[in-house]
Amino acid sequence: GTADWGGFEDNMQGGGSAVIDMENMDDTSGSSFEDMGEMHQRMKEEEEEEAEGEAGAAEEEDGEFLGMKGLRGQLGRQVADQMWQVGKRQASKAFSLYANIDILRPYFDVEPVQVRTRLLESMIPVKMINFPQKIAGELYGPLMLVFTLVAILLHGMKTSDTIIREGTLMGTAIGTCFGYWLGVSSFIYFLAYLCNAQITMVQMLSLLGYGLFGHCITLFVTYNIHFHSLFYIFWLVVGGLSTLRMVAVLVSRTVGHTQRLILCGTLAALHMLFLLYLHFAYHKVVEGILDTLEGPNMPPFQRVARDIPVVSNAVLNTTAKAVALTL
Amino acid sequence: RQYGGYEYSQQSGFIPPEMMQQQPYTGQIYQPTQTYTPTSAQSFYGSNFEDEPPLLEELGINFDHIWQKTLTVLHPLKVADGSIMNETDLAGPMVFCLAFGATLLLAGKIQFGYVYGISAIGCLGMFCLLNLMSMTGVSFGCVASVLGYCLLPMILLSTFAIVFSLQGVMGIILTAGIIGWCSFSASKIFISALAMEGQQLLVAYPCALLYGVFALISVF
Repeated sequence: GTADWGGFEDNMQGGGSAVIDMENMDDTSGSSFEDMGEMHQRMKEEEEEEAEGEAGAAEEEDGEFLGMKGLRGQLGRQVADQMWQVGKRQASKAFSLYANIDILRPYFDVEPVQVRTRLLESMIPVKMINFPQKIAGELYGPLMLVFTLVAILLHGMKTSDTIIREGTLMGTAIGTCFGYWLGVSSFIYFLAYLCNAQITMVQMLSLLGYGLFGHCITLFVTYNIHFHSLFYIFWLVVGGLSTLRMVAVLVSRTVGHTQRLILCGTLAALHMLFLLYLHFAYHKVVEGILDTLEGPNMPPFQRVARDIPVVSNAVLNTTAKAVALTL
Repeated sequence: RQYGGYEYSQQSGFIPPEMMQQQPYTGQIYQPTQTYTPTSAQSFYGSNFEDEPPLLEELGINFDHIWQKTLTVLHPLKVADGSIMNETDLAGPMVFCLAFGATLLLAGKIQFGYVYGISAIGCLGMFCLLNLMSMTGVSFGCVASVLGYCLLPMILLSTFAIVFSLQGVMGIILTAGIIGWCSFSASKIFISALAMEGQQLLVAYPCALLYGVFALISVF
């Protein structure tokens, strides 16, 4: 109410809370209408003063000339000053409201156990799709997973001596991963809005971010053990599991067969294709596969054959073969 | 703030030349500094050369603290004192970044630009993340200072890379160990300075990613 004029500042100094109590905002600058009303009133009063001053000065011209001009100039400056103050106050209030990084604070309030649980759960598809599944609206885990994916991509590019002609390695990796996370989240959110699915933007970001966990595992393993059939197995199993989980959660929150089909089909296609793209685009590929897939088209960036250190790679490959045989 | 016990006099006194001329000639014409000593009653110039604090103190470079912080980083099991990070000290981190770039140079990789760029962006990212995760905020200088100090083990890695190649299995194990050491120390200092118990792993992981990028520069 009107008694709590200092309430806004108290909230800011309170520290931990990210919630801004709107009703405690300082009333004098809360509404621009009131401000303009104040300004208008003041300007009217100043105009009246000016008018009186003018009427008086018209009788005494000579001696008062400079004084009159000085008075008008001073009034003009005061008015300009007032407008500047009001504008500045408005801008700083708007800035502290919208650019406040504290808005994101609740999404980073997690514990290691929670993060670990959510990581493991992201690989387990839920069975119950008739009941809306809970999605944790948390941004720490997804952000770390995107950065991990960037690091894995960089590592893969460095080990395979990929040369990016237009741009830098770091820029490409960051652009790809963040672009996928933010872009596909927004796109699916838009589709969800069209298909009447119950999901918010933060939940979508969180869901897709945790879905990248499967991508991280797959790429980490297959960038180091160069086995094509191994990659396909990982792509189907690991990628498939994380996609199934995301799809199941979305299905549980959508009504109607057509809508479910559109939403989940799009998400599944994009997610699986992204993993395929990451593997083939940023890693040394056996020459034969390249030729069959791309034919006469030049790849966008050049691959340089690298000297594989004979010992370590052979050891890894034989180990993988032995493991595959025993399975 | 006192510099080593010296105080700047509030009254920048200007001693009128007559006072000097009134002193009797004592035959010490070849020791002009004696006339400047503040033994006589108000003869105290505002900025005497001898009364200025030492240069290092004025710059805020305190070698003892730098050494303390370095030891805290180098002993991963030593308990960190939260108060040592109260003063932002960027001299030590600057020296460590230059040393890192220099050891890379010795291995034939001229990548000072990468080092500075990655450390700037990494510090910015950690600053945003720590501000979001901690109850009390943290200043950018503090984050830059801690991350810079914990770069020290990475210098050991790049020194090793001058002589031996890090692209074998031993290199991978050594790199992983050094990254773990750096991020463990950094997270230990952050936790004690910001009082975020139970979240050491959550702070250590982004640090590990950052130092992993540095290690990538060293290895390749």
